[in-house]
Order: sequence, then structure tokens, then C-alpha cells
Amino acid sequence: MTGKFVSVLRGLIFIVIALALCGVIFQFAGYSALGMFHSVAEGAFFRPGAWQQSLRWALPLFITAAGVGISFRAGYFNIGAQGQFYLGAICAAFMAEWLNGAPAFVVIPACFAAGMTGGALWALWPGLLRLQSGTDEVITTLMGNFLAGLLLVYVTAGPLKDPSGSGQQASSRPLAAAYRISDSLGLSPTIIVIAALVAVAMWLLVNRTAFGVLASLAGRNPTMVQWQGATVWRLGLSSFLISGALAGLAGTIEFMGPNGRLAGGFLPTHGFTAILIALVANLSVVGTAFVSVFFGGLASAALYLPIMAGLPSAAIEIINAAIALFITAKSGFVDRLLAIGRRSA
Amino acid sequence: MDNPALECRDVTVAYGSVMALSGVGIAFEQGKIHAVVGQNGAGKTTFARVAAGLVRPAAGELRINGQQVKTGKVKDARAAGVELVHQSFALPPSFTVAEAMEFGSDRGAAIFTRSALQKRWAPHLKSLDVNVDPKRRVRDLPVETQQGIEIARALVADARVLILDEPTAVLSPSGIEMLFERVRKLRDRGVTVILILHKIREVLAIADTVSVLRGGRLVDGPVACAEIGAKRLAEMIVGPAVARTLAPGDADAATGRGAPAAHTANHHTPADAGLVLDMRGVSTQSDAEGPALRDLSLTIKAGEIVGIAGVEGNGQRTLVRAIADLVDAMHGTLAVGGVDVTAAPLARRRAAGLRIIPFERNTEGLSLSSSLWENWSARELLQSRLLSAINPARLKKRCDEALQAWSVHYATTGQQAGSLSGGNAQKVILAREVDADAKLIIAAQPTRGLDIGATAFVWQSLREARDRGCGVLLISSDLDELFDISDRVVVMLSGEVAGTFSAPYRIGAVGAAMTGVSQ
Ligand SMILES: Nc1ncnc2c1ncn2[C@@H]1O[C@H](COP(=O)(O)OP(=O)(O)OP(=O)(O)O)[C@@H](O)[C@H]1O
Ligand SMILES: [Mg+2]
Repeated sequence: MTGKFVSVLRGLIFIVIALALCGVIFQFAGYSALGMFHSVAEGAFFRPGAWQQSLRWALPLFITAAGVGISFRAGYFNIGAQGQFYLGAICAAFMAEWLNGAPAFVVIPACFAAGMTGGALWALWPGLLRLQSGTDEVITTLMGNFLAGLLLVYVTAGPLKDPSGSGQQASSRPLAAAYRISDSLGLSPTIIVIAALVAVAMWLLVNRTAFGVLASLAGRNPTMVQWQGATVWRLGLSSFLISGALAGLAGTIEFMGPNGRLAGGFLPTHGFTAILIALVANLSVVGTAFVSVFFGGLASAALYLPIMAGLPSAAIEIINAAIALFITAKSGFVDRLLAIGRRSA
Repeated sequence: MDNPALECRDVTVAYGSVMALSGVGIAFEQGKIHAVVGQNGAGKTTFARVAAGLVRPAAGELRINGQQVKTGKVKDARAAGVELVHQSFALPPSFTVAEAMEFGSDRGAAIFTRSALQKRWAPHLKSLDVNVDPKRRVRDLPVETQQGIEIARALVADARVLILDEPTAVLSPSGIEMLFERVRKLRDRGVTVILILHKIREVLAIADTVSVLRGGRLVDGPVACAEIGAKRLAEMIVGPAVARTLAPGDADAATGRGAPAAHTANHHTPADAGLVLDMRGVSTQSDAEGPALRDLSLTIKAGEIVGIAGVEGNGQRTLVRAIADLVDAMHGTLAVGGVDVTAAPLARRRAAGLRIIPFERNTEGLSLSSSLWENWSARELLQSRLLSAINPARLKKRCDEALQAWSVHYATTGQQAGSLSGGNAQKVILAREVDADAKLIIAAQPTRGLDIGATAFVWQSLREARDRGCGVLLISSDLDELFDISDRVVVMLSGEVAGTFSAPYRIGAVGAAMTGVSQ
């Protein structure tokens, strides 16, 4: 228990340091740091309706981040959440197109199944390559992100193109209102229930199943679980599939809920923010839920800043980048060094 | 009298609520070989780490050569001439010898050529009698040579005090002889050597003085080895109360006073007992970790302890990996507990009753950065389905009970396995692998790094397992250990069985078989 508390505290300290650094940057850029933070906080949580907006961003982020946490725990740096998220949205869109006209209670579940399958398949091939031939999953999943981005551009400009579209960005035909799971504000009971189900399921998986314990052991020392008779590739591949499926689920939600259509290059930082969230939360499911709300708040502040406060929304990107900088330093180098230090008993 | 080479005054180190050292004051004379002994968790490694500046004590001071040195500063300790070779040393396996020397201790140059490095280090290695080609890669070298390099690396600077933490644990008997020769030469060059050891026989063979730690306190020392007998020393290590509970034969074997010829069979396996291991004509390919097995047949009956003797690197590791299905067998059949498992994966072999205490405690046996209860539960969890529900509170409670039954010293089951002392870590593995359902226990060097009390405890546990009808395959480089508890000893040479012996053992005959000399 205390160990968990310490790790959460460490995460928070890193965020505070990162924010302090941002303050310095803002000050140098000619803005008042305090004023900037004040506006960010207001945009995220303290203006009327802020919470609703923040949760709208937080819930899909949480779903993707929970999946990222599963594969990181098992020792696989699947950084392909963005691509898996896109594949989820694309597959759901194809399913909706194909079943267009059928009753909603058929179409909606089918779209969810398609989206999760799509995300999982987009994680399957890097997983197989890694487990069969040791190909570094960081490289393959990163490439997968680019491929998925291009695929999204292709389908929105090709097979799913909305002929009546006039914007510069090609996009797909809008989803029929009957199939939407939320309005464009993006918060609906359906989405809340799905996120809650994911939270409960992932918490149980990590904390209350043999899989959770074994995957975490395998992530820290695969040799040891191999000597215990575990089929390491099964643990690993399941983790890849779960994380892909959850990113695909988030993609489906974004498509069927707030967005209502696919646009080339939509939400281009979703997957990366989710990775950040998982790392800040130290891969714990409960932590991921809280940290998602924080980052959801930042996302909604990014929209608020330029419109209401006349400040550049790039401020939010700076905050994200600074947190990323400190968190990767913490979970990468420091932990590995600690692990080496421990070997001398 | 000269200034002591190394002196601690009132040194206290606490890890949370555990007092690793409390008020230890000790002074080591110049130019001698000093042994430091004590049970697992007594604080030996902590003491060494304080001396080398790796741990900053909560209180106390450190003097090197009469000069006070700031505690907790590696640079200061090194500048004063103290070097430490760690308990489980690890040279980067892919480095060449010359590279390992150059980059070992943060003295590496930014730009270098291979040949320049080789030229620089060859004479140094040679002067220390480490006969190795500096072009070779670390991973291809036997462990004795790796240790020699590690020592050479520590002696790059003008070391006056060299501390070796359990250097003999990884060595074969002949390797130990080589190490001792090396240590004596260093002493003759004026280096003060502090050896952390477990075996009393080794202490008496090499050291000039011995100091005993128990529970973080100095029991006595340094005492001249000439003035102390093995029995007295054993008592000082475990405390008089425990010393009385050791079985006489075990006490002798553990302290290294055993006269092998005196070993007699004290146990009779029933002739009609079933086979728990039936290995017939197994051959494997050779790989990076050892030579191939060649047409190896081995049987173990229920209620029998079979020892494997052999010089390290003669296929013992391959044998264990073949039984564990971690290397592909090309020919032959294998049955565990009467079930044919030739084509079965390790999980099914374990379900048939196979248990393994592997050679490498820190990599194969435990996940050091995971908690104790996770490490302990792994075997059981793998017997059930992946998605089956677990109750962590209950697992922790049962882990608590199991670890206490093995008298492991730990604070909570949530603590990382890496924070245990070496011997306690080994006991966690034993607690996991020696259970009621075990039919065949493979014990690879199970007492390596364990103190006398714990060693005797492991032997007792293996005997109890045998008396329950378990078969045990014991692999050890310590002949006293093999002779003390095996019902039969099989000698391996180049991946083949070179002879089978039973009590009373003749050390000469076993030794000849181990080296391939025909009698
Ligand atoms: N990093 C750490 N965190 C917590 N406790 C520790 C740590 N290092 C050592 N300890 C505890 O301090 C005590 C002394 O440990 P130390 O490693 O010095 O023992 P040792 O005499 O070297 O034992 P062994 O013979 O088993 O190697 C043990 O109880 C151990 O659990
Ligand atoms: Mg130690």
C-alpha cells in the first residue's frame, strides 16, 4: 500500500516540476505564468460546464490508456495506440456503412465489435513479429501509426468519402443520427457506462486474476516465468491484443459519439496522450482513471484558451511535452538503473 | 603497530525497520587476509558496501589507513584504495575482455581502438595471472576467468584493500583453489584482502583472521584463525542454541570437516519404488549455455536422492534445461512421475510433479523487482487457468505462512524480492518449489550462498521430501554436500554419464571420473 502511495506521489512531484518548467517558459515568452495557469485551470475545471467538457476528453483517453497500461505491464512497449485507435474508428465506420439501414440495436454492437477487432488486429502483427522473431515492437508499432494515419486519409478520401463534403479536409459521410451514441458535446450515459465497464474489467484483470500477476512477473523477468512453465508468448500476445482492442474501442466511441464521422488526421495526439497518462499513473488502473481526468481537463482547456482567454493553445502542448519529458526520464532510466543496482544483493 | 588498513567505528545501517548493522566497530590489519563470516542477512554485504562507499551509514565513521574517509562516497573510498567485487558480479556479456577492463569502472576513454585497448590491458591481466586473450568476449569465458577479470578490474587503481563478497559461491573446487592462490599472491604484494565467506573450511584454508557478524552485530573478531577451531567458529556463526540442533553429519559437511570416506548409506530406497524420473537416451544440441547431452540415461526412484557431480560446464545445466523442456531434445524419452512427458511443455511436466530450483537465483528463480508474494505464487497460478480469479489477500497470507515455515527474514510479503539477502532469496525459491505435491525436485546448487544453518535446513528439507516419497536430483559442485545427502552419485563428463557411485564414496574414484582419468 505504502509503495503504491509513494509511486503516486512521485508521479505528482514530476508533474509539479514539469509545470514549474512551463511557468518559466511562459514567463520568458512574455506571458504571465500565473495568469496562464489560472486560465488553464479555469478552462479545465472551473468555468461553468468545464467538467462536462473535461470528461468528454477524459473517457476515451482513459480507455486507450488502460490498454496501454496492460501491455506496458507485460513488458511490451506498444506505442501504437494511435494507429490502433484509428483502425478501430475505420473498422467501425465500414461496419456502419455496410449495415446502414439496419436497426440501431444491431448496428451499434456490430460497430463496437468491428472497432475492437480492428484495433486488436492492428496490435496483432507487431505482437506476432515480436514474439516470433524478436522484432522490436517499438519500431513496428510506431510504423503502424504512420500506416494507420495514411489508411485513414485513404478511406476518407476514397471508399468512405462524403461526396457533399466541402471542407479542405476530406471526411466520411456522417453517421446516421440513430446510430450516434452521443451528441457532438460527447458525453452520454452510454459512453460513461462503457468507460466504467472498462475500468472495472481492467482492474479485475490486473488485480484479481492469475493473468494480472503472471503478466506483471513476465514483464519484469520473462526468464523467471519461463522457468515456471508459462508460455510467455501467450501472456505477451494477449496483452498486445487487449491494448489494441481498447484503443480500437476508444476510436469507435470517438467516431460514433462526438465526431459522428471520420476525418483524415482527426485527434492526432490521442494515442500519445494515452501513453503519457499510463506512464504518469505508473500503470495502475485507478491511477489511470484520475490522471485521465487531469489530461482531459488540459484537452478541454486547449480549446478554451484561445477563444475565451485570448491565449495560445500551444501552452497545453508545452505542458504535455514537459510532463512527457519528466515522466519518461522517471520510468525509463531511473527504474532500469534501480533494477540493476538491486542485482548486487 | 601500523594503522589498520580499514577500520569501522560504531557503524549503524538501517533499512526501514531492519537493522542491517548496529554499532559495528572493527579494524583490519594491513597486509593480511581477513575473512568475514555470518549467517544470511547478518549484514556482511552491507558492511562491504559501507566500506566501499556504496552505503552511507546512519552513524559511525570509516577510516582507511588511519585517515578518516567520508562515508557513502564511492569516489572517496576508491581514492583511499578500497575496491569491492560484488556478490553477484556481472560483466557485460557482449564486451571483450579489454573493453570490460576499460569501461568497467567509469574510467573509460571517449575514443579508442580495439587494439589500443588490448595492448593497454594485456600486461595488467598478465601481471595478475589472469591468462586470457583480451580479444575474447566475456560471455565465452568460464566463470573463474570472469571472476579473475573482475578482480583485475578492481585492482586497476592502486587498491590497498580489496573486498570480495562471497567470491567462492560461483566457483568449482579447482576454481576456488585458483582464487585462493591469487589472493595469497595479492597479500604478498601488500594488498589487504577481505573475503566474505560461508564455508568454514574455506575460512580456515585461506584467512589469517576471521570476524563473525550475527544479526547486524559483531560477535567477535578479528580473531587469528590459528586460534580457533571449526566447531567453535560454527557456534559463533549460528549461535550456541542453533549449533546444538544441527545433525552431527550435517554439521561436519556444512563446516567442511566431513571425512568423505566415513559417509555410509543411512537410508535405503525400497527396491520396488516407482521411477519419478526416467530419462532414456536423451541427446540435445549444444548451445551457448553448455555442451550437448549425448545419449544420456538417468533414473531416479521415488524416495531417492541422486547427486550429480562434475566439473562445471560438463552438461549439468543442459541436463536441467532438458528436463525442464527449455532445450530441444533430439532423441530419447523422458517420463516424470510415471507420465511420459517427452513431447510435453514445462507446464505439463510441472503438473506431473516436476519442481525446479534453478542454477541462477536472480534471473531464473526470482523476479527481483516483483514482490515476494507474486514470486511465491507464480508456480501455483500457472497450474490454474489464466483468467481464474485470485484473492491477493489470501495468497499473501499463505505466502506469509510458507516463508515463515522456511524462516525467511523479510519485512512484508509486498517487499521486492531483490531487497532480500542472498540466502533469504534462495529460501523463497525453496519455499515455492518444495511443496507437498512435488514428485521430482531438481535442486541445482540449492545451498550456494547459504549459511551453515540454512544449508543444514535445506538438506533436512530435501531428506524430508525424499522420505515423503519424492525423488531429488541434486546438482552441486560441493562433493561434501553430495556425499552427505545423496543415495547415489552420478558423475557427468562432457554431457555423458561417466560413472555411478554409491556409499561409501571414495573421493579418489569420483574425482578421477570427474576429470576423465581412467583408473
Ligand atoms: N536494499 C535493501 N532494502 C531493504 N533491506 C535490505 C536491503 N539490503 C539489505 N537489506 C537487509 O539487511 C540485512 C542484511 O543484509 P546483507 O545483504 O548485508 O546480508 P548478508 O550478510 O550479506 O547475507 P547473505 O549471506 O545472504 O548474502 C538483511 O536482513 C537484508 O534483508
Ligand atoms: Mg551478502
